[in-house]
Amino acid sequence: MANTMARSFLQVAATEEVASPLRVVQIEGLVILKIIKHCKEFSPALVTGQLLGLDVGSVLEVTNCFPFPIREEDEEIEADGANYQLEMMRCLREVNVDNNTVGWYQSTLLGSFQTVELIETFMNYQENIRRCVCIIYDPSRSNQGVLALKALKLSDSFMELYRNNNFTGEKLREKNLSWVDIFEEIPIKVSNSALISAFMTELEADTPVTQCDYDRLQLSTNPYMERNLEFLIECMDDLSMEQQKFQFYYRNLSRQQGQQQAWLQKRRAENMARKTAGEDPLPEEDPANPIFKPIPEPSRLDSFLITNQISNYCNQINGVAGQSFSRLYLMKALHEN
Amino acid sequence: MSSRFWTAQGDSDTEEEESDYEDGVERGGAAGESAPHAGSRYLQANASDSDDSDGQKRVVRSAKDKRFEEMSATVDQMKNAMKINDWVSLQESFDKINKQLEKVMRVTESDKVPTLYIKALVMLEDFLSQALANKDAKKKMSSSNAKALNSMKQKLKKNNKQYEDLINKYREHPESEEEGDEDEEMEEDEDSGSEFEEDPSKIAMRSDSEEDEEDGEDREDSAAEAGGGWEKKMSKKDKLMDKQFMKDPSEITWDTVNKKFKEIVAVRGRKGTGRIEQVEQLTFLTRVAKTPAQKLEILFSVVSAQFDVNPSLSGHMPINVWKKCVQNMLVILDILVQHSNILVDDVVEPEENETQKGADYKGTIRVWGNLVAFLERIDVEFFKSLQCIDPHTREYVERLRDEPLFLVLAQNVQDYLERVGDFKAASKVALRRVELIYYKPQEVYDAMKNLAEQTEDTENGESEAGEEPRVEESRGPPAFVVTPEVVPRKPTFPENSRTLMDILVSLIYNHGDERTKARAMLCDIYHHAILDEFSTARDLLLMSHLQDNVQHMDISTQILFNRAMAQLGLCAFRVGLIAEGHGCLSELYSGGRVKELLAQGVSQSRYHEKTPEQERIERRRQMPYHMHINLELLEGVHLICAMLLEVPNMAANTHDAKRKVISKTFRRLLEVSERQTFTGPPENVRDHVMAATRALSKGDFQKAFDVIKSLDFWKLLRNREDVLEMLRAKIKEEALRTYLFTYSLSYNTLSLDQLTKMFDLSETLTHSIISKMMVMEELHASWDQPTRCIVFHDVEHTRLQALSFQLTDKLTILAENNERAYEAKIGGGGLDLPLRRRDGQDYAGAASVGGKWQDNFSFSQGRQGGVRTGYGVGGRPLGPGSSAGTFSRDRGGQSRGTGGYSGGYQSTRYQDAAYGRTAYQTSSAVRGSQMDTSTRMVSLNRGVRA
Repeated sequence: MANTMARSFLQVAATEEVASPLRVVQIEGLVILKIIKHCKEFSPALVTGQLLGLDVGSVLEVTNCFPFPIREEDEEIEADGANYQLEMMRCLREVNVDNNTVGWYQSTLLGSFQTVELIETFMNYQENIRRCVCIIYDPSRSNQGVLALKALKLSDSFMELYRNNNFTGEKLREKNLSWVDIFEEIPIKVSNSALISAFMTELEADTPVTQCDYDRLQLSTNPYMERNLEFLIECMDDLSMEQQKFQFYYRNLSRQQGQQQAWLQKRRAENMARKTAGEDPLPEEDPANPIFKPIPEPSRLDSFLITNQISNYCNQINGVAGQSFSRLYLMKALHEN
Repeated sequence: MSSRFWTAQGDSDTEEEESDYEDGVERGGAAGESAPHAGSRYLQANASDSDDSDGQKRVVRSAKDKRFEEMSATVDQMKNAMKINDWVSLQESFDKINKQLEKVMRVTESDKVPTLYIKALVMLEDFLSQALANKDAKKKMSSSNAKALNSMKQKLKKNNKQYEDLINKYREHPESEEEGDEDEEMEEDEDSGSEFEEDPSKIAMRSDSEEDEEDGEDREDSAAEAGGGWEKKMSKKDKLMDKQFMKDPSEITWDTVNKKFKEIVAVRGRKGTGRIEQVEQLTFLTRVAKTPAQKLEILFSVVSAQFDVNPSLSGHMPINVWKKCVQNMLVILDILVQHSNILVDDVVEPEENETQKGADYKGTIRVWGNLVAFLERIDVEFFKSLQCIDPHTREYVERLRDEPLFLVLAQNVQDYLERVGDFKAASKVALRRVELIYYKPQEVYDAMKNLAEQTEDTENGESEAGEEPRVEESRGPPAFVVTPEVVPRKPTFPENSRTLMDILVSLIYNHGDERTKARAMLCDIYHHAILDEFSTARDLLLMSHLQDNVQHMDISTQILFNRAMAQLGLCAFRVGLIAEGHGCLSELYSGGRVKELLAQGVSQSRYHEKTPEQERIERRRQMPYHMHINLELLEGVHLICAMLLEVPNMAANTHDAKRKVISKTFRRLLEVSERQTFTGPPENVRDHVMAATRALSKGDFQKAFDVIKSLDFWKLLRNREDVLEMLRAKIKEEALRTYLFTYSLSYNTLSLDQLTKMFDLSETLTHSIISKMMVMEELHASWDQPTRCIVFHDVEHTRLQALSFQLTDKLTILAENNERAYEAKIGGGGLDLPLRRRDGQDYAGAASVGGKWQDNFSFSQGRQGGVRTGYGVGGRPLGPGSSAGTFSRDRGGQSRGTGGYSGGYQSTRYQDAAYGRTAYQTSSAVRGSQMDTSTRMVSLNRGVRA
C-alpha cells in the first residue's frame, strides 16, 4: 500500500505544479470524536456529515463538522436537507466557527465504500471546492480495536477521465491508470490545541490501559471474517458479471469484424468487376451500413471499483488474520503459563 | 338439383357463362313454352309497327302500343347511329331500349320478350361483328367511339345471353329480310345447336350416345316441345342415365365413360358442386368402367372426391364416407394386385388414352395416383375424427373399432408397395402403422387383435358383401370390370406388438427419410418404454441424436418426442431408476405447461390471451383421448422422483439450501406448502407428495409410504404391487439417508442393528447404503467392525470454511473465464467458441458413449457416464474431491437447463409471436436445449449413482 501511495503522490506532484499538492489532512480531535460518535450511534445504518475547515497550502485543516440528518428517499426532504446544510453553516458562522466546506465524512460497512455514488458525490464537491476530502469511518472495524479512519480523494487523472466519461481500455492504457489509481489516501494528522493536549495528559496518567486496548484483545474474529468473505463472494459475482459483459462485447466485436471483412471482400470483388467494366469503384467504407457502426465498449469503471473493493476486503482479512494469529499465540503463551 | 350439375358439366366451352346459366335456361325454357302464341301475336304487330311506322296515321293507342312505339323509335335511332357508325349514341340507345323493355314487359304483363327487341338485338349483334371484323375502320375511330364500341361489345354479349334462344329462333325464322350474311347465321346456328345441347333435359340422351349427334336437330325440337314436362324428368335424371346405360351395355364404350368421367372431374371443386353427388356419380361410373385401368382411374377420383366431402380443416370426414373410402382403396388395391402391369404414378402425366388398354394388354399402363398420399389422408381423417368426437361417448369407442380397418388397408398398401419395390413409400405407410400401434401396451394390442379377428367375419360378411352388393342391387347391372377380392380384408397381426413394431421399424430404418426415421425412432422408444425396457429405450434415444436435433423438427414430432420422454420417465420409475426418471420428467414440468407439451389439452395462460387462430392450430395438434398419457400419474411420478432425490439432498445441505437444487419445481411446491398456516389432509397429487415429503424429512418412512400409496393412480400401473414394493424400498432407503444426514451430528456412534430396526431394512442393504455415503464423503463417519457401529467424525465445516469453499469455487470460475479471454486474445478463436464447442463435444461424447453402450453396455455404463461427467457440463475443471465435483457439475447442468427453459418460457416467445415459423424455432430451440440437458442428466445421474 505504501508503495502505491508513493507512486500516486509522485503523480500528483508531476501533474500539479501551480497549486501545491494536498499532503496532509489535519483533523482536530473534536472532529474525530464527533465523527466517531455519529457513526457509531447509527452503526448498521450508513450516515454522512459535512466537514468544515481551512485549506492552508498543502495541509487541509478540518476544524469542525456536523452530521446530516438521515435522509429518506423523498424529494421534499432532500430539499430540506440542503436547507438544513445552509442553515447550519450560517449558524456556525455566527458563532465564529470555520464554515468553509472542505469535504464530507461517511460511515461504511466493512470498507464497502468504493461505489459510483461516492465518486459522483466527490465530483460534485470538486466542482465547488478545489480541494476536498472524504473521510471514511468504519465502525465495525473500529470494534476490532483499530481507529478505522481514512481520508480519501480521487486522483486527478481519474477525475479527468471521469469527466469525459471515457473508460475504454485504450484510454486507460493511455493514461496509464489502473484500479489502484482511482483513490488516493491522504495521511491524517490529528492535532489538538495545546490546552486540550495538556488536559489529556492530565487524564491519561491514571489509566495505563485504554478501552481501545481491551478491544484489541477480543478473540472472536470469525463473524468479522465471515462477513468479509461474504462480501468478497458478492464481489466475485459482480466481477463475473463484468467479465461476462466483456465477453459478450468481444464476441459481438469479433462477429462484427467478420462481417466487415466479408463485406469488404464483396465490395472489393465488386470493384474489380466495375473496374473491368470501366466504371468508378465504389468507396470501401459505407457509414450507412449497420455493420460499421462501432459497438460501444463497456465501461471499465465498475470492474475497477469492484477490484478496489476486493483488494480492500483482502487487506482487511489479511490484517485481521495477522492480528488474530498474534493474539492466539499470546493466549497460548498465557495458557501455558 | 342434380340436373344442374349435369348441365353445368356440359358447357365446358362456355365457362364464363356458367354462373348465370341456370336462370338463362329457365327463362329460355319459359320463353320457349310461351313462344307459340304470345310470340306470334306481337311478332306481327311489331313487324308492322317497325316497318311502316312513318307512314301510319295517328290513332288512339293503348299504353301498350305507346311503349312499343317508343321502343321502335329507339330502334330507329339505333339504325341511324349505325349508319354513321356512331357507337356512343348507339350505346345510349341500347341502354334506353333496355329500360324500355322493362316497361314493355310490365305493361304486357308477360315474360315474353317482344320480338322487336330481339330484332334490335340481332341487328346490333350483326353490326357489332361487322364493326369488329373491319379492322381498318376500327382504327380510324375516335377514342371515345372505340371505347363505346368495346363496352357495347361486352354489354351486348352479356345481354344477349339472356335471350340467346330467342335470338336464335329469330335468326332461324327471320321476320325481316335485312339480315345479310347467311353464313354467319349458319355459324350462329351451329353454335346455338351445341348450346341447346346443354339443355338439361337432353344431357342424358347425349351422354348415352354422343355419336348420333346428327339427329340432334329433331331432339332439339322435341326438347322445346317437351319443355313443360322436363322438370319431372330432372328429378329422376340419375335413374334415367342409369337406365340408358343399362339399356345397352354393349353401346357403352370406353370413350363414353371417359368423356363422362372427364366432365365430372372437370367441375370438381367448383362453387355449387354437390360434393356428395359427385361421389355418387363417380361411384356409378366405376361400375360401368370398361377397363381395369379406367376403373382404377375413376376410383382414384372417387377417393379424392370423398376427401372433398368435408371441406373444412378442423372438421372431420363423415364416418360412413371414411369407411367407403377405405373400401374404395381396397378395391384399388385389388385391381392393382390383379393387374400387375398397371403402374400408379404421380410424377408422369399419363397419356390421354392410357386407360383404354384393356385387361389383356400386356405392357405397363400408367395411371395417375398416389396411394401413399391417399392413405395418409385417410389416416389424418381418422385421427381428426377421434380428435373431434367426445371421448366419453359410445361413438368414440365405435370409431376406435374402425382402427383395424385402416390397419388392414395400410398393411395391404405397404405389401403392395413392397412388392412393387417402392420401399420409400412403403416406409411411409409403415410409419402410419407404427403410429397406430406404438402407444398400445400388449393388452390393448391383444384386444385390438381379438376385435379384428372377431369382426372379420361380420365385417367381411356385412360391410364387404353386404354394403357393396346392396349398392349394386339398387344401382342396377353388375360392374363390367369385376374385381375379385384379391387383397385380404382381414388384418394379420403378429402375436406380439413388439414383433410387429420391430418389423415395421426396421423397414423404416432401412428405407425411410429423415423425418420418417425420426418419428419411427420416437415411436420405438415409446413402445420400448411401455414394455419396461428402459435401457433399450434410452440407448435408442442416445444413439439416435434425437435430443440434439429435435428442435429442428416439426411441432408434431416435437410433441412425439415429449411423449416419448414422458413415457421413458415413467418406465424408468417403474423399473426403479429414480434419478433417471426424474431426469426425463423434470423438464416437462419445469415450464408448468405439461399439457401443452404433450398436446393433451390446452392450458390457459393467465398472462396471455391466445388468438383464435393460435387456439385453432393448437387444437388441431391435440392427441386423441385414447393416446393420452395419464397426467396425474405423470405428475405423481415426477414429484415422487423429485421427493426421493430432494429430501436427502436438502438434509445434506442444510446450511446453504439454495446451492444444490435438484428439482426447482419440487422446491417451489414445498415452499408453498410450508407457507400454509394449516395443512389439511391431502387432496390432490401434490398435497399427497408434500405430506409424504414432510413425513420423509422426519425419517418417518411408513407414513410417507402410506400417503403415497393412498394415491389412486397406482391402479393404472400394470405391475402395481411390484412398483409399490420398489417404492417402499426406495422410500426406506432415502429415509435412512435423510435421517443420517439430519441427525448424524447428534450421535457419536450409531449401531447398525439399531438402524436396520428403525428403517426395516436388511442389514446388508443398510450397510451398503451407509458405506456408499461414506465413500461419497456425504457422511463423515467410519465403521467400527467389531461392535457393528458407525463412528461419526465431527468434521462439520464451520461457516467460515463453507464460505471459503464457496469463494474458491467462484475464483475458479473467474480464473477460467480469464484464461479463456486470454486465449481469445492470443488467437484462440473467439470467445464464443469454447462454450459452444464444449457443449458440442459433450453431445458428441454422449453419442459416442451411446454407441459404445451398444457394444458393451452391460458393465461399462456407469464408467462411461462417469468419465464423461468428468468433462464437465459447464466446462469446469475437476474439483478437488471428485465426488463433490461431479455433484456440483450435475447441479450446474441442471440449473442451466432449467434456466434456459424457464427463460424461454417466461419471455413468452412461444405464445407471443404469432405461430410463425421463427417463433417456433426459437421455442423449439429452447425446448431442445432443455432436452439436451435432460438426456445428459440421465447419463450424469447414472455416473453418480451407478
